[in-house]
Amino acid sequence: METTAQTTISRRDPAQVMRLSRLGSLHQCRLSFMRVLTRRMARENWSFARPKFDIDAKGVGVAVYTATSPARTYSLIAFAHDLPPEMRSDRVIATAWDATFTLFDGMPTDVDIERLSKNVPYQEAGRVNEKSLSVSRANRSVRLWAHFVDALSQGQQPDPAQVDAVGYLMRTTAVYGSGKLGAADREAIAGRSELNAPFQAEMLSVYLTRVFVRDLVEHMARAKGGEKAVPLAPETARRLGIGNSTGLGMAPYIVNHPVLFNNWIMAREEAIARVRSVETASAEEAACFRRMLRRSELSASRWHSEHPVQLEKLASLHKDLDALAAWVAADDLLNDKPWDRLIRWSETALSLEGQELAASLILEPYAELVDGLSDCMSDANKDAFIINGAMPVAQVRELLQNSFGWALDLDWSARENIARAWYVSEEKLEPRMGERFDEPIAEYEQPLAPARDAAAAHAALAHWDGVEPVAAFLLRHPEHRHTVRRAQMSLVAPYGEIRSNTISDRVLPIDMLRAKLSFFGATHFDPRSDRWVRICMYAGAPYPEDLSTANADLWVYPEANQ
Amino acid sequence: MSYALNEVEATAKRAARGAGYDWGLAEEASKATRWLCAQGLDGSALLAALLEAGYAADLSAHVPQDLQAEWQAKAPLCPLGTGAALSDCAAQLQSAPLVIGPLSQPAMILPFAALAARQLGTCVTIEGDGFQAVTDGAALQCEGVLPETAARLTIRAAGTLSNPYPTRTRAEPEEAAWAVLNRFAHKTYAPATEESRLLGAGAGLSDND
Repeated sequence: METTAQTTISRRDPAQVMRLSRLGSLHQCRLSFMRVLTRRMARENWSFARPKFDIDAKGVGVAVYTATSPARTYSLIAFAHDLPPEMRSDRVIATAWDATFTLFDGMPTDVDIERLSKNVPYQEAGRVNEKSLSVSRANRSVRLWAHFVDALSQGQQPDPAQVDAVGYLMRTTAVYGSGKLGAADREAIAGRSELNAPFQAEMLSVYLTRVFVRDLVEHMARAKGGEKAVPLAPETARRLGIGNSTGLGMAPYIVNHPVLFNNWIMAREEAIARVRSVETASAEEAACFRRMLRRSELSASRWHSEHPVQLEKLASLHKDLDALAAWVAADDLLNDKPWDRLIRWSETALSLEGQELAASLILEPYAELVDGLSDCMSDANKDAFIINGAMPVAQVRELLQNSFGWALDLDWSARENIARAWYVSEEKLEPRMGERFDEPIAEYEQPLAPARDAAAAHAALAHWDGVEPVAAFLLRHPEHRHTVRRAQMSLVAPYGEIRSNTISDRVLPIDMLRAKLSFFGATHFDPRSDRWVRICMYAGAPYPEDLSTANADLWVYPEANQ
Repeated sequence: MSYALNEVEATAKRAARGAGYDWGLAEEASKATRWLCAQGLDGSALLAALLEAGYAADLSAHVPQDLQAEWQAKAPLCPLGTGAALSDCAAQLQSAPLVIGPLSQPAMILPFAALAARQLGTCVTIEGDGFQAVTDGAALQCEGVLPETAARLTIRAAGTLSNPYPTRTRAEPEEAAWAVLNRFAHKTYAPATEESRLLGAGAGLSDND
């Protein structure tokens, strides 16, 4: 990690940051992967084109969108389908979609497109090769799509209230990358500067998908209304994001990639520490914060959910925003470490939603302190996997104590503490969570309860001589090998472990989903149950033809006239 | 068919787990299989052959009984359990060569020698009857033919890479072996029930609106 900036305030304690309730309250920030991408595309003056838009009046066909960096071209190949309504489902078990996509490495030939047209529409049932960097699919928002096509075809603009209520015309239901379905491995592209930050290929694919969706709805309106039809007003198009439905499949990701997840959290924590260490803010920095706070209020006012947990959190957030506004109004935000004062106050006065929003917002005026940290967010440390067998047993015990001290005394035989089990379903080969005592799943359990496993390893190690190398223990106890590995990873990844029980009867997988999605830059988290969530991506972002360094970054905060 | 190395890794992990290895060793198996494929060897076939030997059911009989002196057991050593120990004891190679055997599927221990090489920052040489392999952790060269079982292997922190295999970014596993891995992997999947379809993924509110 880059350590050039002086920090007098240290990073927050992992014990505070890594509780699931807090991770489930994270908000996007300057380090979010969508913003990293749009900043880069603007800075490097990428060019964009639509070399193919071959779609009929029923909305069936193929389109190609290209994005060209100084070094390379990437192409989104979009297949548009005429999906019978009864087949539309966001669930991962779906087998057909309104549109399917692949991000292609380079410019596809007709032969490539022909090959992909026989595979990409089938998603998991198809195969791609290393020329594909991602594979994804999207479904229409039935309500909003029909309204848009009707309105535009009759020469009318869509009703802004309906736009606000949904926020997107299509939502992706899976964006696969990194080797899935035969696509290129992350390792094959990680060396490219434009794809080095996490999930850049996936974020680019979604960015271009949004352009396609706008073009497609205008195309369908023209097909329906002919000369009467009008294009979508740019300000309405701008407000549209791409929705995303994310299910349980993503939750294990942050447990399965502790070093990577650490790098995300640690980059943000380092950014927060740097900004809190700022002794005095300039008038412009203070003004920037105030502007982003006001725009956050607007964003929060457009954040809808029907889920009781989120409704409660949103109510807290609205209250927090009022309290924040009052605190900010009473302070000049200029002197005596203003951002540190704000954060310390927030910890006494705001809910977790508000605290984490404040922590993200104070980063906004400080591009030069923060943005470089995005280079530290990928995981190139392959050696973290290697167990140091020479480490004395006593030190392994200490590492377990550090990350899981809170879990060692929990009663791990009590039903409520082990009520759930994570497993992979035979049907779709996707992670799921079930009731350990009600369903026959325990023997299929995935290793997604690091706290329970740490307690077990710690107990087993208690009988070993502290000076003995852990290699001898592991030879006799291979069942604790994955736990010892994680314990040693914590040396380089202090924020790698969730400090909550991931199998308790109260666990909310949506907290794990939100933690991950907030780093993508998602907004408007809308849980649809305790296990899947809808979000919005790129709402407010400039389209390629408007993208500039002036608007490439702060688009995530809506402006009053937008 | 061409597979991404991540696909190999994911399938190998599930397969090793399905064959009865604990998660930590399944992780080792998956990284090892991927590493072999990256060297141009058919890691999937090697892993499939090993899993069919069924050592996981009684693994303690197939790992070194003592980490001092020569590594051996009454039964053939499993290269996953033994390889993990080799990586864990990498530092020992600095003082003396390690003698191991008999070892099943000795090719499967090469990735663990590579992990040792990475920890030591030197090349590691693995020598047996009729073959010699050298790795610096990233690359591999091999002379002779690796047998299905090696009676005796000598592993030392020494050697130079003069003619390493070109590394690969894709794998082309032999179909039958790939099917074996998927058969083992399948044992880790919970059969679907109507209840789990609804509850397990948390259907909740409508997803078509």
